[in-house]
Amino acid sequence: SPTGDSWGIFTFLCAALCNLPALPALNCSEELGAGQSIQQTYDLTRYLEHQLRTLAGTYLNYLGPPFNEPDFNPPRLARAERVPSATVDLDLWRGLTDNARLAANYRAYSRLLCYLRVLDSQVGTAELRHRLAHFCASLQGLVLSIGGVMSSLGYPLPAGPAGSPVPPGAPAAPNDFLKKMDDFWLLKELQTWLWRSAKDFNRLKKKVPPAMVTLRLEAREF
Amino acid sequence: PLSVSPAADPAVISPQDPTLLIGSSLVATCTVSPDFPQKAEDLYWTLNGRRLPAASYTALGPSTLSVALARLNGSRQQSGDNLVCHSRDGGILAGSCLYVGLPPEKPVNITCWSKNMKDLTCKWAPGTEGETFLHTNYTLKYKRRWYGQDNTCQEYHTAGTYSCHIPKDLALFTPYEIWVEASNRLGVAVSDVVMLDILDVVTTDPPSDVHVSRVGDLEDQLSVRWSSPPALKDFLFQAKYQIQYRVEDSSEWKVGGHRRCRGTARGGRGSGCSHLPPLQVVDDVGNQTSCRLAGLRPGTVYFVQVRCNPFSIYGSKKAGIWSDWSNPTAASTPRSERVAGGCDPKGGEQNTTLRRELKQFFGWVKKHAYGCSNLGIKLYDQWRVWLQKSHKTRNQVGKEP
Repeated sequence: SPTGDSWGIFTFLCAALCNLPALPALNCSEELGAGQSIQQTYDLTRYLEHQLRTLAGTYLNYLGPPFNEPDFNPPRLARAERVPSATVDLDLWRGLTDNARLAANYRAYSRLLCYLRVLDSQVGTAELRHRLAHFCASLQGLVLSIGGVMSSLGYPLPAGPAGSPVPPGAPAAPNDFLKKMDDFWLLKELQTWLWRSAKDFNRLKKKVPPAMVTLRLEAREF
Repeated sequence: PLSVSPAADPAVISPQDPTLLIGSSLVATCTVSPDFPQKAEDLYWTLNGRRLPAASYTALGPSTLSVALARLNGSRQQSGDNLVCHSRDGGILAGSCLYVGLPPEKPVNITCWSKNMKDLTCKWAPGTEGETFLHTNYTLKYKRRWYGQDNTCQEYHTAGTYSCHIPKDLALFTPYEIWVEASNRLGVAVSDVVMLDILDVVTTDPPSDVHVSRVGDLEDQLSVRWSSPPALKDFLFQAKYQIQYRVEDSSEWKVGGHRRCRGTARGGRGSGCSHLPPLQVVDDVGNQTSCRLAGLRPGTVYFVQVRCNPFSIYGSKKAGIWSDWSNPTAASTPRSERVAGGCDPKGGEQNTTLRRELKQFFGWVKKHAYGCSNLGIKLYDQWRVWLQKSHKTRNQVGKEP
């Protein structure tokens, strides 16, 4: 029916406008309370999770088998820990203060962003570089979003460089194969962090009520 | 230089990350570190995840196993083939990336164009019909003929994978030598040198402010107006124009003539249901540029595009290069009530009803909802155009030479 089509088209248009990756989310509401920021950060982690699936698939295919095999599980050689691990004791995780929870996320993604940017400069194909650049831009958005939540709740941002070159304590891989393994683990860690962040922000959502109810249009699954 | 980590790597492969020509053979060895209790006979090799046959193994010592690989094919992925040494339980002890391929061939078909004489973009094709299997780097270089210095282009992929853009510091009235160097791990290849003068390869922006409007109540005509691209005013060249237009649902573009649209209207006018191909009618309005399309179907949405070619640059008789087409502009021909059936474009009727309703809806949204001021019927029109463009069969063929 014509009216049905109209609604479909309108939803599509709004979804297209509201989800253009390179732009900040178009918000049809005026005010942004802390509650709204948390919701947006949560949405961003879900969006990044979706993006990562495609990026990781492409990247692992670029690395070639066995890296792109589903059951691939290489040893984590005793090299310096690149990124704080997302996995944490459940009781410890439950007991985190809001500040500590947010700070852990902020620090992790800042470092992950650094490593991804290094990856971007080295990677072979133009298509991959393009995807990586796109992902880095979104990830940068996430870091800023978390920073925004922290500020609106009155927490200080964690000290330390966010976006500076590779932090010390992470020597470059001595050969190409070890570098491939490093890349594999970087993507894995990123994935785990995004899973965890969704839970972190869900928890925070419940503690900080939204400022007002707004009309939100859900994007269709693409 | 080894990393100062508490435990050494479990094993070492030699050669580590070698580069090889297609068809060559290789013997690789895996030496297990004394800290790891593995015997040579417990180890095995895989290449790109596939186990290599034990017949190709040789134990060279208590903790060293070698493998012989013959007549290697080109690398499966540009990041290198993964040759891995495993312990008996399948664990990875060490790996080496094999880069097997061919040296590059001379890049060919270098073509360049300059936008408004300010810059230069060039594209080329890689020489190899097949693949080199290795990551190949392309560098575009240029220099003024008879003057010393080689320059290197910095901005790549601006017009496709094999392209580069030189944004400034280009001289006119002087020939340039341009060439492309391809290099990969196995060698270098240099294209033939192309010589050109910037003035010979000039193109410009598409015309701006393209407006398509009805001609009174005439059902089979539309009037197209546009402005010449602003850059034209700065330079001493004239322009000629081309129009193309199509019906919304068709994939076939019809091309109109040059600045002076020539053509005789062949019947079909006033019959309402013209099955004759639409032509254009001369309508020259001084400096402003316009054209009238005639013999169109009534009550139909048309998409129109215009493009521009600078010629007579500084008095020469040569033509430049056609610009891109302007963004399509949509307009519809009127439909009089008295036209009887038989001519009903299928789907066209529905679309105009839908569009009308959408327009009303957007008007309501603007009044009753906050923000969302970008929404409007114009966006819907643009979306329709985008929708048409994104269907493969409806893509226009690339620039004309």
